[in-house]
Amino acid sequence: MMAFDLLLAAAIIWSAVRALTLRDAAHAVVLFIVFGLLMTLAWVRLDAPDIALAEAAIGAGLTGALLLDALGAFRRMPPAAGTGGWTRAIILAASGMLLFAFIHALLAMPYGERVVLPEWVAAQVSQSGVTHPVTAVLLNFRGYDTLLEVGVLLVALIALLAVAGSGNASRKTAVNPMLRAFASAAAPLGILAAGYLLWAGAHRPGGAFQAGAMVAAAAVLLHLSGRLPAWVAPGRLLRAGLAGGLLFFLAAGLFMTDAGAYLTYPPPSAGSWILAIETGLTISLGLALAGLFLVLAGQGRAQ
Amino acid sequence: MSAWHDPATALILLPLAWATLAFVLGPGRGAWMGMGGLASQTLLAVILARSVMQDGPRVIALGGWGAPLGIELSADGLAAVFLLLTQIVALVLAPYSRDYFRARPDLQRGFWPLFGYLIAALNALFLSSDLFNLYVTLELLTLAAVGLVALGGGRSQAAAAWRYLLVSLVASGAYLMGVGWIYGLTGTVSLTDIRWFFETGIPPAAWLAGGLMLAGLIAKTALLPFHFWLPPAHGGAAAPVSALLSALVIKASFYIILRFSLDSFSPLAQAAALPLGAMGALAIVWGSIQAIRTPKIKMLVAWSTVAQLGYLFLVFPLLADARALEAGVMQAVAHGLAKAAMFAAVGVLVLSNGRDTLAGLLGAAHHAPLALGAFALAGISLMGLPPSGGFLAKWLILEAALAQGAWYWAGIIILGGLLAAAYVFRVLKLAFMLPVAGDGFVQPSRTLAWMAMILALMSILIGLRGVELIGLATRQ
Repeated sequence: MMAFDLLLAAAIIWSAVRALTLRDAAHAVVLFIVFGLLMTLAWVRLDAPDIALAEAAIGAGLTGALLLDALGAFRRMPPAAGTGGWTRAIILAASGMLLFAFIHALLAMPYGERVVLPEWVAAQVSQSGVTHPVTAVLLNFRGYDTLLEVGVLLVALIALLAVAGSGNASRKTAVNPMLRAFASAAAPLGILAAGYLLWAGAHRPGGAFQAGAMVAAAAVLLHLSGRLPAWVAPGRLLRAGLAGGLLFFLAAGLFMTDAGAYLTYPPPSAGSWILAIETGLTISLGLALAGLFLVLAGQGRAQ
Repeated sequence: MSAWHDPATALILLPLAWATLAFVLGPGRGAWMGMGGLASQTLLAVILARSVMQDGPRVIALGGWGAPLGIELSADGLAAVFLLLTQIVALVLAPYSRDYFRARPDLQRGFWPLFGYLIAALNALFLSSDLFNLYVTLELLTLAAVGLVALGGGRSQAAAAWRYLLVSLVASGAYLMGVGWIYGLTGTVSLTDIRWFFETGIPPAAWLAGGLMLAGLIAKTALLPFHFWLPPAHGGAAAPVSALLSALVIKASFYIILRFSLDSFSPLAQAAALPLGAMGALAIVWGSIQAIRTPKIKMLVAWSTVAQLGYLFLVFPLLADARALEAGVMQAVAHGLAKAAMFAAVGVLVLSNGRDTLAGLLGAAHHAPLALGAFALAGISLMGLPPSGGFLAKWLILEAALAQGAWYWAGIIILGGLLAAAYVFRVLKLAFMLPVAGDGFVQPSRTLAWMAMILALMSILIGLRGVELIGLATRQ
């Protein structure tokens, strides 16, 4: 496997350099997606299947779709002036120095006495309500981080809505009948996969973020096949759906307050609480991720 | 005791809740909920400050796990001071914002939810005792702040927000990379657990990590030479947003640097102290000169922020003297109140004459005396005249500098005060001239000028309560 790993590492660097240096933006986006898929493989090789799932769904999939959509909007604009030679030289020099510092620090890394968090996780995972350690960390041990992260995603969407202004979302483009037929079959499968990932998160790689990304992917597909309109100003029901996951998480944390510490899961029912919170998050995260695409889609065609 | 009775956790959850509910209510809604929430939060911050003063700092293990497995909040004196400052400034700016956006309804889409998330992020940041959790709070803070800058979506504002976003994301990336190195090195991201690690010696990876985190944090604080994003972002945003950003948001990353220097990273911070002080000195001079030169009034106030931030970084080379820390806290509080007052006052002046150039200020003393008074009082604090909070802050740095024989810092402080006087009097001189005949003025809601005045008065009066404030900040 050593040869495969080396080849993979070389391919990752190659795709990153190409994505940055290509003059044609469409090619660069394609290479960015390739880069995301190669990274997915790298995570698999590093025994991090949870990150691999997230990388494939969000890093390569949704981000790629967003970039392709943005390309459509940029096509009508004159190309921006390139970065100046001096700026490039400075950035290159700084990156080179940073790389050198990284290698130096890595070689001089002391492996003495240190905290071994995986042991702590392994010791407590039986109390967490789930058997998959990543889910235990994300929803229980460091659930507060996840609560704030969900807020981050919602804030990104609110900021986007505030900037987007009132566009006109009418989009009259002919849809390829093949795409239409494909979307009809694939979108329900996407939702089904989301349900599976959500359920699986308790004992194997999966969980709300990956499931939400599947929901969002289904929504993007439905939009591209002309079955789901772009968003201009989400109505109250949609806003409630976007906020519901965070509000339920907040309220559940308050309910599970023990000895002054917020978000203390009672071990016997922790598993059910985590599943309930993750269900809410799957819906809200799915809507928010889809929203990032659907709001931009409404904008791109507005002018 | 439930989370409702723990003021520290409640200070994070309450704004998170009202911001989310305001989003569900819809664009432009949520003002009353925000004001109610902020009033309760101010009360909670006072309760927290009292309990820290009486019983000392508290550590709250969220989820009941404790470090290193879980995340801990640390409610100590320094956090209590910054929490108080944040709630009070936000509480006074809330009615200001409501009336301001009544005059400019085109700008207010999404204001209340973003405002709530901004305050939640600040409170979470001040309380956090975990390197990775701090990154999450910085992300929440950055995105809320960028969204606020872009409100209304004018072309130049969108460009300023975009630049702010890019700088902030690169800065966040640098910080996160540093956290990654620390985790690789120590196996933990808990601030209390990494403390022991640097006592035995500092490996190269720790220097790299410290450098990356510091670079990210000073870029977010807009310390010279990373200040370039600040004037267009703070100078172009809606007045209540500029006030929030200049008074509070940039203090957040400074707070992290200060906290790290005092505690877990102090051996590393000593090496960075002198360059930080030098950049601070340059920022004082360069920011003031730009404030004296700019033709736009909001840009003047924004450049003044670049200059006043410089004082915060003069603290680091002097930390051996206890007065330096006191000065830093005092400067953060005094500048927070004065700058919020100044942006609020300028917001009134710009609304009333419809222009944001200094030339448009002619006659402001006649038609907007209250707002101009607030501007002048805030200016007194920025110049560092007694008995203002700004005076106390600058006096303490001066003493700390002279006690250590560092006369060059003292020279910079005095020069900075003179330059501040120059740009404040630039505004006052024009305002007291007679208006050009035929110029029309509108009278914006009186609430606006009164809120600016309240903030300005607080920036002066805080100088008289400096002993109590410093006592709280240094409560261990």
